[in-house]
Amino acid sequence: MTYDVVEPIFFALLTIGIVSAGAGVVLANRITTSALLMAFSFLNVAGMFVLLGAETVAAFQVLIYVGAITVLILYGVMFTPQQPRAYGLFFQKQTPLAAIVVVPIAIFVALFAFSFRDAPEAGAKGHDLEPLATSVFRDFGFPFEVASVLLLAAMIGAIVLVKRDEE
Amino acid sequence: MPEGPFGLDPVIWAPLRLIIAVLLAVGLVFNGALAQIYLERKIQAIIQDRIGPLHTGPWGLLQTFADAIKLLGKEDIRARLTDKWFFLAAPSIVFSPMIASFVVVPFAPGIVGANLNIGLLYLTTLGSMTVLGIVIAGWASNNKYSLIGGLRSAGQLISYEVPQILSLVTVVLLVGTLSMVGIAESQPDWRINFLILPLAFVTYFIAGLAETNRNPFDLPEAESELVAGFLTEYSGMRWAIFFLAEYGEVTVVSAIATTLWFGAWHGPLTDRLPLLGVIWFTLKTYFFVLVFMWIRATLPRLRIDQLMSLCWKVLIPLTLTNLMVTSVLLLAYPSSRIPVAIANWILLGLFGLAVPFFQRRRLASLRERLRAAAA
Amino acid sequence: MSVSLGAFVAVSAVLFFIGTAGVLVRRNAIVILMCVELMLNAANLALVAFSRRSASVDERGSVFVVFIFVIAAAEVAVGLAIVLAAYRNRPTVDVDEIQRMKG
Repeated sequence: MTYDVVEPIFFALLTIGIVSAGAGVVLANRITTSALLMAFSFLNVAGMFVLLGAETVAAFQVLIYVGAITVLILYGVMFTPQQPRAYGLFFQKQTPLAAIVVVPIAIFVALFAFSFRDAPEAGAKGHDLEPLATSVFRDFGFPFEVASVLLLAAMIGAIVLVKRDEE
Repeated sequence: MPEGPFGLDPVIWAPLRLIIAVLLAVGLVFNGALAQIYLERKIQAIIQDRIGPLHTGPWGLLQTFADAIKLLGKEDIRARLTDKWFFLAAPSIVFSPMIASFVVVPFAPGIVGANLNIGLLYLTTLGSMTVLGIVIAGWASNNKYSLIGGLRSAGQLISYEVPQILSLVTVVLLVGTLSMVGIAESQPDWRINFLILPLAFVTYFIAGLAETNRNPFDLPEAESELVAGFLTEYSGMRWAIFFLAEYGEVTVVSAIATTLWFGAWHGPLTDRLPLLGVIWFTLKTYFFVLVFMWIRATLPRLRIDQLMSLCWKVLIPLTLTNLMVTSVLLLAYPSSRIPVAIANWILLGLFGLAVPFFQRRRLASLRERLRAAAA
Repeated sequence: MSVSLGAFVAVSAVLFFIGTAGVLVRRNAIVILMCVELMLNAANLALVAFSRRSASVDERGSVFVVFIFVIAAAEVAVGLAIVLAAYRNRPTVDVDEIQRMKG
């Protein structure tokens, strides 16, 4: 009963967090601010997952995105220092055109998205750990193995790409 | 919605309960840190054949308060070229996940903050958020040594997460649930998981030492190496927060080890008086904290490349083998745990014998090379 | 359930288009990578919302999300490796300046 009152409040807070952090990533002055706002956006998306009841996916989101990908991007930022330049030079030549194209499509899609409704039989579904684990390891076992091979290939590729040529 | 005590309205009780839980966790961490700071200095002193703090209070018991008063009184210096908001935020980013970990730790049969069904996954997730805080601390200090210390520490933490998680997964395979309360309840009486999976405990302990930046893996904060690594520019209360975060993390790692391998609250007389479980849990956790301190006083520090090769070349193959053997044996003999136990103890014995064997071979070959070079 | 499925999908759409705008507009290669991650997050949010609010019992949308996590992590690693290798050649990560194949 009280949950029905509290849930929209959390949803509104998380939405504000996600949208403002996303806008901050695109518009921020310094690249480290962009990286940390991106991490904040990831945390808010994890909050959205918890609100939907998918707590295992939320834990994985924080573990992988905030814990690993953000650190990777911060490493990348630190190893590529650049000359400071004027703020206007951050944006490409086609910025006005991109804005004109993207904004109307975004508004249209967002308004269209509101027409989706819950399936009529969707009740409280409970924890998502067991169905998720069963699906991944039983129904989708082969894609799981392919994903692990992909990770191995990516790891080897990344190591080879950044190896210096020993003179 | 649970009704509060004395018939409190659930709407008031739920946030009040959260606030009480947070205050309890903070109190626990601070008091634990008070005890641990004193214990660390006394134990290091005793092992190093000296006396340690003696004059502040009886047996030096008030030393921690003296330290705290000194830290609070220090000037809050912040170098001008540091990034202001990141510099100020970094200690909080390192401290918060550690506090949030105490919510799933089972102290006694009824006393747990929240019985999450993904309790262990939640703890692992929080452990990986600490890395972000350390990278930010190293970068925001605008100091070459801090940056190198921060990046090295981040690399160390990320690398050692893998054996840590693999050890935890081995126990979860055996127990069948990720919930901390469930794991604690699956070890009645003397049938603790340590008897079945000792190698997982050993690898978890070593990885936990590295995760908390403790000796012998404390290169990132070593005073003799990179000044103080990523902590160089932090002084006074800000340094104290990092310090508290480290001790709190040591407590969390010990608490996880206690829950998973030593039957969290189980001990004599717990079924009669459930609250007694808190005492057993605290005793077991502090035993492991003392082992952390014992190791710190005894072992020398590892270099960064030795540290990394220990993780990737020794611990990860070991934990992977352990996981493979455990899962195969659990599938082959679903009803009995004895084959898994036997295999694990054999692997532990092999690991224990392999270490001196390989070290002796390396020493011999090193001596050979030195002799050949001198000749 | 008081927050309808449409609200979650709308948030996901807005985040996706913010990410798209970022990819089209920014010059720094690393910021472009960050905006691609935002787009992947938006897709994850939409998938999990549909999966949890559907009538079926198994969590197929969430399974897809787990695989997207894996692929996003691999892509960031390789993408950053490429950016670092390009930076080593000529010290810039500006996508307008890395336009000649010969170093």
